[in-house]
This record gives sequence, C-alpha cells and structure tokens, in this order.
Amino acid sequence: MSNFILFAQSDLLDILEKEHKDTVNFTSATFKMTRIAIGHSTETRKKGILEVFVANRFWNTGADRSQSFFADRMSARIALEYGLSDRLSTGFGGTTFDGLFDGYFKYKLVRQTTDKKGGPFNMTILQSASYNSNSFGSIYGEREISSNNRLSFTSQLLISRKFSSNFSLQIAPTFVHRGVVLSNEDPKNHFAVGFGARYKLRNHLSLVSEYYYNTNKIKSFDNYNPFVLGVNWEQGDVMLQFMLTNAVNFVEDAFITGTRNNFNFRSPNLNFGFNATYVIHFKRGLKNKRK
Amino acid sequence: MSRFIFVLLFFTLHTQSLEDDRIIARQGQVSFFSYTSVENIKAENNQVLSIVDLDNGTIAVSMLMNSFVFEKALMKEHFNESYIESDVYPKATFEGKIVDFDRSTNAIQTKMIKGTFTMHGVSKELEIKTKIERSQNKYIFSGTFEALVKHYNIKIPPLLAGNIADTISVNFRFEYEPYEK
Repeated sequence: MSNFILFAQSDLLDILEKEHKDTVNFTSATFKMTRIAIGHSTETRKKGILEVFVANRFWNTGADRSQSFFADRMSARIALEYGLSDRLSTGFGGTTFDGLFDGYFKYKLVRQTTDKKGGPFNMTILQSASYNSNSFGSIYGEREISSNNRLSFTSQLLISRKFSSNFSLQIAPTFVHRGVVLSNEDPKNHFAVGFGARYKLRNHLSLVSEYYYNTNKIKSFDNYNPFVLGVNWEQGDVMLQFMLTNAVNFVEDAFITGTRNNFNFRSPNLNFGFNATYVIHFKRGLKNKRK
Repeated sequence: MSRFIFVLLFFTLHTQSLEDDRIIARQGQVSFFSYTSVENIKAENNQVLSIVDLDNGTIAVSMLMNSFVFEKALMKEHFNESYIESDVYPKATFEGKIVDFDRSTNAIQTKMIKGTFTMHGVSKELEIKTKIERSQNKYIFSGTFEALVKHYNIKIPPLLAGNIADTISVNFRFEYEPYEK
C-alpha cells in the first residue's frame, strides 16, 4: 500500500514538472558586477538601481627614495551608474589622475537561459566616450588640441557565457577611436579583443581575471596589454573588488591602448586596485504593501 | 508476479483516478518573510504549481526559486546566486498527504498536511496546518509555517548574520481548479 501511495505522489510531481516546461529561466549573475575587474562585463543593472561606484588604484613611482607611507601615487574614478531599464544602463564618471571624464551606455541584447529555449550566451553592446581635460601645452610645445579632438570613443561587443554555476567566460571584440594623438605616427583607431573570466570560490567570493589584446599599438611610447587578477566580494548592498593590475587608467580607451607598464612585480609596474560599489534601489520590486 | 500485480495496480489507479479527481493551482502564491532589527526581507512567488489528488488526498507543490520577487532587485540576485544556489537547485518541492481529508464536506476544514519538503538539496519532514475552503469545484488551501535557515544548509556570512533571521516564516495560498491536460 505504501508503494502505491509513493507511486501516485511522484506521478503528481511529474505532472508539475511538465507544467514548468513553459517558463523560461534566464541565467542570473554571470558576473554579478557591471565590471569584471577593470573592463565592463555583460551585466547591466536592473531598472531603478543607482550605483555609487568608486574605483581606486595605488602604485609606487619606482624612485629610489620615497616619502610615501603606503603608495606614492593614487588615482580614483568616481561615478554614478544607473539602470534606465532592465536591459539599458548608463553611467558618468571622472578620474583624478589622468583627467578623463567619461560616460557610457550599455544595452543587453541577448540573455542566456538555463534551458534550451533562449540564447546560449549573453550579449551586451557598450558605447562609451571620454573627454580628456588635461592641458598638453607645456609638455608638448605648440601642439594645440581642440576640444573636438579631446574626445575618445570605445565600442564593445561583450559576449559571455556562464558555463557552470562557478565559471563564466567573456570575450569582448573592441574598437577604440582616440582623439588625443601625440605623435603623427600613432594610429587613431585600434582594434582589441578582451578576455575575462570569473571563478566562484565561495558563495560570496569569486576570482576574476581579464586581459586585453591590442592588435595595433601606439608607436610613440612603449605600451603593453593590460592584465588583471582580482577578487570580487559581495556583501548585500556593498560590492568590493580587489585587484592587481598593470593598468593605471580606468576608462576603456585609455587602459586598452595606453598602459605603459608590463605586468610584473617591479614598481611602478604593479598597481593595487580597489573598487567599491554601493547599490541604491529606487524601484521597489513588490508593489502591494499588504503583509 | 509481484511486478504483474504492480502493473495491475497501476492500471486500476489510472482507471479509478479520473481527471476530475485532480485539481491544480497554476498561480499559487508563496511568500516568505525574515524579520530582524536591521532589515526586513520579503519575497513573493506567484507562479507556484500545486496539484492535489482528491481521491487519496495526496498533494504535490513545485516552485522555481528564480521566480521569487524581492523588494530589491539585487537581493534576488544574491538569493539565487549566493544563498539558495538556484543554478544547482532550481526548484523547491513538497509532496505529502492531507491527514483525514474529507472530500464530501463543503464546510471550511483545517487539516494537517504531512510530507517532505525539499529545498537547496535538503529534504525535511514537515507537518503544515492548512485551511481548506471549498466553493463548488474550486478549492482554496492556505496557511503559514516556519522554516529554520540552518536546516537547509544555507550559509549566511558572519557580516550579514544580523540581516537575515534564523527562522523564516512562509505563507502560502493556492486556488485550485479541476485539472485538464
């Protein structure tokens, strides 16, 4: 008799299993944060979410003697980033060290689904622009840079896939147009490919890495491809990212084309990076306030 | 021989339990609350499936953890990714039996439902007090029960221990109608 009941019960669950088949399950949190470490991830913020995003880099100059306690130099990008809809995000920020002011729009085209009904990967397009507010006159002689030429643009197609609950991978074909060109032999347009990965170590902790391969480099100074190794840590409304990188700049066009150090442990090559994101929700998910 | 009897039983079961004997709820509501002095967390799922076989009083419930809606969108992401791990355990299910179910009465009855609740890969025996209302061929099941977070192998980081209650109260309400394929 007990067999009989068991059979009838699993029969009921089987019916429910068939009913579930109609719902589409989107994969959540391929990267969780809008940045993997230095570059954008396919993630966009949901509608009504404001992120206060502060990114910092600390490094030593490599001089023999230094008066600094922790680091000789530091740079910070302070930005506000907002989810206009569940798929469209925008953000504006300014960086202290290189004097770049930047803004971007990001739109999620394809969302990965856990079953076979939707996309097998995430696809997001990013368009960003930056304005270089530096004065170049004193260092570079007569070279006058008009305000039009101070604008640089980055277009990215971000493609990512969450292969398992612990592992996500991203490939990002990138086009960079630089406005400020300091030598006539330097190219203005660059093609680059970004690679990013995230491995979840524990429920709130993940290991991330990114590398950008720049196909046509700037010739007037030595530059290297940016690489980063970091740890992402999520605690409720606060998300922290710690990283080691050779990239000093925060804006895509600057760090993809103009990273002047290689990744190794000699100062000034290695930067310690620290990003803090505080998330504020302006839209509440539950409409009815009944208990 | 025993297999033959089993097959016979199977057929008699199928001929006896007519389609009319099963009722289904496709938009069942399950919500849970965590009250602490730091933060109140509330989530709702309005797409919970449940089916009842009136013939023998067995019941099954199945819900997708992904379908829970939270006050904050980021909470949903944390819930799915860091707590309930819905990639690995997409569903929570319950299967059980209504104790002393009286299908003849039209009056409101309060019954215990005994069964197994499975969530985050952990199965627990539960007894849930349920109010059963009937109007013609519609049934409404509703009730409340409490679940301990630590029973289901859900780890809360020490920094957030103050934000999430040890005991989560769960409310449910299912409206059933006759099951047709």
